[in-house]
Amino acid sequence: MLIRGKAWVFGRNVNTDLIFPKIWFRPTYEPGEMASHLMVGIDEDFPKKVGRGDVIVGGQNFGCGSSREEAAAAMKEAGVAAVVAPSFGRLFTRNAINVGLPIVTSPRIDERIGPGDEIEIDLAGGTLRNLRSGYATRLPPMAEESLRLIEDGGIANYTRRVLAQRRDAGLKMPE
Amino acid sequence: MHAISKIIARHAERKSVEVGEIVNVVPDYVMLNDRGAARAADLFRKMGGERVFSPDNVVVVFDHHYPPIRPQDSVSQKRTREWIAEQGIAKFHAGEGIGHVIFPEKGYAFPGALIFGTDSHTVTNSALGCVATGMGHSDIASYLALGYNWLKVPEVIRFDLHGAFRPGVYAKDIALRIAQLYGEDAAPYLGVEFAGPLVARMPMAERLVLCNMVIDFGAKTGYIQPDETTARWLAERAGGRRWTAETTDSDTDYGRIVDLDVGEIEPLVAVPHDLSNIRKASDLNGVRIDEAIFGTCTGGRIDDFRVAASIMKGRRLAPHTRMMVNPGSRETYLQAMHEGLIDIMVEAGATIGVPGCGPCSGCHQGMLAPAENAITNASRNFKGRFGSPEANAYVASSATVAASAIAGCIVSPAQASSSNY
Repeated sequence: MLIRGKAWVFGRNVNTDLIFPKIWFRPTYEPGEMASHLMVGIDEDFPKKVGRGDVIVGGQNFGCGSSREEAAAAMKEAGVAAVVAPSFGRLFTRNAINVGLPIVTSPRIDERIGPGDEIEIDLAGGTLRNLRSGYATRLPPMAEESLRLIEDGGIANYTRRVLAQRRDAGLKMPE
Repeated sequence: MHAISKIIARHAERKSVEVGEIVNVVPDYVMLNDRGAARAADLFRKMGGERVFSPDNVVVVFDHHYPPIRPQDSVSQKRTREWIAEQGIAKFHAGEGIGHVIFPEKGYAFPGALIFGTDSHTVTNSALGCVATGMGHSDIASYLALGYNWLKVPEVIRFDLHGAFRPGVYAKDIALRIAQLYGEDAAPYLGVEFAGPLVARMPMAERLVLCNMVIDFGAKTGYIQPDETTARWLAERAGGRRWTAETTDSDTDYGRIVDLDVGEIEPLVAVPHDLSNIRKASDLNGVRIDEAIFGTCTGGRIDDFRVAASIMKGRRLAPHTRMMVNPGSRETYLQAMHEGLIDIMVEAGATIGVPGCGPCSGCHQGMLAPAENAITNASRNFKGRFGSPEANAYVASSATVAASAIAGCIVSPAQASSSNY
C-alpha cells in the first residue's frame, strides 16, 4: 500500500474531544456528516481545507482521551490517507485500525514534517519519506494482524466475511 | 507471565501468551452505554449481524444522556430498548448510574475477569484485579456479531506506592502526580499495576479512582492484585459470584517498576487544558470558581460524598459559586441520603442531579459559559469538555472540589480534611 499526500500538522496531546467534539455526536450519521466535523475543536475550517489523500501528522500522544470512534472514522470519511505521529492514544490506534485508516508511528516525526509537505508512506515496505525535505525513515513493523485489518478495509469487512464463512459452514448461529 | 497476560490467555483459551501478541478473546461482560448501544447496534446491522452472539454477556447502561436530553436521544433510547428486547439482552440499567460505578457494585467486575466497554473509563473495573478496557463502536459491533474481539497483550508497568498521606491528599492526587511526573502518555498501551503498602490498606473506592485514571495517562488497563479488601467487597455485593484471581510470576514480568512516595504529594489540581498541567491547590487561590462539578465515574462514589459532606457541613457555597452534584449510582444516592450527606450538600446550596455522567457527558446538567471556571472531581480538563470551549476546567480530588466550592476559589483542603488510611 503506497500513500502519497499533503501534510497537515498538529501538536502534542491532541485529544479526541478536539478531533471530534461531543456536540456533534449522533446515534447514526448521514454520509459525509462525520467528516464535516473533523478537527473542529482546533480549526473550525479544517473540514473545508482537508482534501482526499492528505496526511494528518500529530505530535506525541495524538488522539488521547475518550474512546469515540468518530475521531478516526471522520478522518477515514474525509479521505485522509494516513495519520502519522510519534505516538498515539491507544483507543485512537485501535479505532484507526478498525476503520481501515493507515496509522503510522515514527519517533519525532512531527519535527520532520512541516505543514503542506508532500509525504510518501509505504506501509508494507515500512518506509516514510518527506518528498520536500528528502528526509526518509524506516517505520517500526506493524503487527501483521493489524496491517491485514487495515488492508481489508477495517473490522466491518472482516466481520462480514467471518459471518459469511460461518453461514456457509452451516455453523449453528445463535437463535 | 503477569496476571494480566494470564487473564488474557485464559480468555483466549490459551495456556500462555506473549507480550505484544495479538489474540482473539471472549470477554466475560461487555458494557454498552446509551450512546455505545445505539452506535454499535447500527454498525452491527451494517456488518450483517442479525442475532447478538451471546446476549447474556452484554450489559446495557443508560448513563451519558439519561434522562434523554434532546429529541434525538429519546428516539435513540427508544430504539435501543426495542433492540435489546428483540435480542434478549436482559441486563439493562437506565437511571441507575454510571456503568463504571455500577459494574463493581453489581458484581459484573470480579477478579480474573475480562471486561470491555464502549467507553474509555471502562478501565475503572480493573481495581478488582481484572482486565478492563474501552473499545470503539465498531469493535463492540463486531463482538456482538462474532462473540470475540482482538486484543494485544500489553507490557505492564508497576507503581509501588508507599508512605503516609499528608492531610487532604487522596488517591486522585496520586493520579495527578503521575500525570505530572510522567505525562499524559505515562503508560501508552500498557497495563498499569498499583501495588505497595499504601495500596494494601487502600479502600476499594480509592483503588477505583486510581484505576479509573489510568486511561488518562494512556493505559490499556489498570490492575490491583486481589486481596482481602477485594474479597470483602465482592462478598458484600455479589456473594454468589465465583471467581479465580490470577497472580504474577515474578518481577521480571514488568517492563518497569516505579517507586512513588506519597508523602511528597500535596493536594494537586490539573489546570486547563491538559491533565499533565499540574499545580498545587494552595498556589491557585486566585482562581475564582463559578461552578463545582461533583460526581462522575472518577468521583461519584459514597466515599466522595462522605468527604465532601464532612467539609460542607453547616457551611454554604460562596455566593457566586454553584455546585452540580450527580451521584455515580442509585446505590450511592440512596446511601448518601440515608447518611444525611445529601441534606448537608443541599443545605449548603448544591443542586442534586440524576445518577449518571452529569455535565461530564458534555451536553447537559450544568454546562459552562465562555470564560467561566469550573473545578471538578471528574478525570478530564479538556477544552470544551463541560460546555463552552472558552471555559476553563480544573481537575482535583473530591475534597479539593468541596472546599473550593465553599471558598468560591481554589483552595487546598489540607485544613478541612484528612485521609484516614
